[in-house]
Amino acid sequence: MHGGCAIRTIGTRGGRSLLLAGFVAALAATAGAAWLHEARSRSTVQAAAQSVSGRAVSTHAEHPQPPALTADEERFATALWVVHREATRLAVAMSFAGITYQIEDRDARALARKIEPMARFFHDAEAQVRAMSAPASLSRTQGQYVTAMALYANAADEMLKFTEDSNSQHLGDAHQMKMKASEDMLRVGEVLWPGQYKPH
Amino acid sequence: MGKRALQVRPFAWAAVIAALACLFGTAAQAQQPVCSVWLIESSRFMNVPFGSFMPDRAFVPGSTKPESNISTVDLPVNIGVIKCGSELILYDTGWKQQDYLKMTGSEHWAPIADQLKVLGFNASDVTKAVIGHAHWDHAGQLSDLPNAVLYVQREELKAVEWALNYPEPHIRAINSDPGGCYRTPACGYMPLTMEEVYGKVLKGKAVIVDGEMEILPGVRIHPAFRAHTAGSQLLEVPTSIGKLVFGSDAFSSYEGIRDWMTANVQQTDTVQQFLAYEKCYKITGGYNNCVAAHEPLSYTDKYPLTKNSWVALNGGRMAEIALAPGEKSRKP
Repeated sequence: MHGGCAIRTIGTRGGRSLLLAGFVAALAATAGAAWLHEARSRSTVQAAAQSVSGRAVSTHAEHPQPPALTADEERFATALWVVHREATRLAVAMSFAGITYQIEDRDARALARKIEPMARFFHDAEAQVRAMSAPASLSRTQGQYVTAMALYANAADEMLKFTEDSNSQHLGDAHQMKMKASEDMLRVGEVLWPGQYKPH
Repeated sequence: MGKRALQVRPFAWAAVIAALACLFGTAAQAQQPVCSVWLIESSRFMNVPFGSFMPDRAFVPGSTKPESNISTVDLPVNIGVIKCGSELILYDTGWKQQDYLKMTGSEHWAPIADQLKVLGFNASDVTKAVIGHAHWDHAGQLSDLPNAVLYVQREELKAVEWALNYPEPHIRAINSDPGGCYRTPACGYMPLTMEEVYGKVLKGKAVIVDGEMEILPGVRIHPAFRAHTAGSQLLEVPTSIGKLVFGSDAFSSYEGIRDWMTANVQQTDTVQQFLAYEKCYKITGGYNNCVAAHEPLSYTDKYPLTKNSWVALNGGRMAEIALAPGEKSRKP
């Protein structure tokens, strides 16, 4: 009679606790398994994405894109591009005129014939770009480009002086001016035409 | 007795001569110069579409094939540092203007002078600069190498001058439009770079190469015309691990050389590029000693020649490739 009562009493309270504890444990186990499953799936997708992109280890931040030009700035960039396309070609042509003189013919008259139209172009370009209407935000850029054109024009004049008096100092001075001018053109290009350089 | 001696003597003489030949041959071999070689990552072009680098590796969404399941790659700009006795040669010279960095999305650049210091050299120690071609990312920084004599092919210079004076404006333009120049004949020959080349010529520090040239014992320039540009040139270098051949952009991709795929097509005749690959196979006995300019796997085990590598300035990498006898390691 006592054992039965004891058992009934113990079974009622202890059993509930055990059941509750078991239920909580099962719930926790299910939640844990679900979390683990999700975590594994995420890392698999990330690994696949990395392998697809070809970046095994990549710690670099994304490059911030330069701000887009405004409509006025775009108009100026488009107008200047017409000058810049030819200025770039003639800047390189001026270098090659000097190279050809040194390594091929040493013909001062031939050098002069090549440089004269370049000198005219750069003098005209300096005036043309100076006269362009640039938005205030690009006034410094415009000034930089005018300076570059002036330097190229002066460099061409120096090379022509060399063809007259054979003083090689003129060539050295011209070279320094062209180095500076090309750096200035590069800086303008970075602002107005950032896509013009591609890996080679 | 005399007759027997006469009969024996020819054999004896032959044996003596053979022994002497072996002796001198061994001595001559031992004296064959070898150079030490390192590779510097001048900078790295980031996130380049694989297909624009290697047309046959263009990304195909959903593809599981290894040749078409990579969308972008990062391309190092590799410079060869070659020490042969007291001479220090650079093969290609990278570029430096920070503006280029911003415009091309490049990272991990450091000045060549600083990078050479990491290896224990000064920029003024460089005696020769052999440029594989004159594109802006391979022929820059020349003015920072005051004592280096520039080696460039006449064919390279002639082709650029031809292009500049061509009647059709799209063909003669350095940049066809603000988006770039899309591989036209004068594409990649930028004003600053060409002025640096002119500066070397003006100062009497340039050798205009006509085809083949041995610039030091065992160190040979080989023409690879139109393998990337009109006047591309390779450089053969003897080392303790065999001959190496540097190829600049004619050898843009190590995988391309290994798998016979074209890479980095610019002013390129792909047939000439494959012939340039073959030249490396013939000179070195395979593809493993061909030094590529832009291989994405550079400085890893997957490009074995460059695996002895470390990270140096600004996250850029370097590799020690071969050491001449007596040359100390410069790996930190």
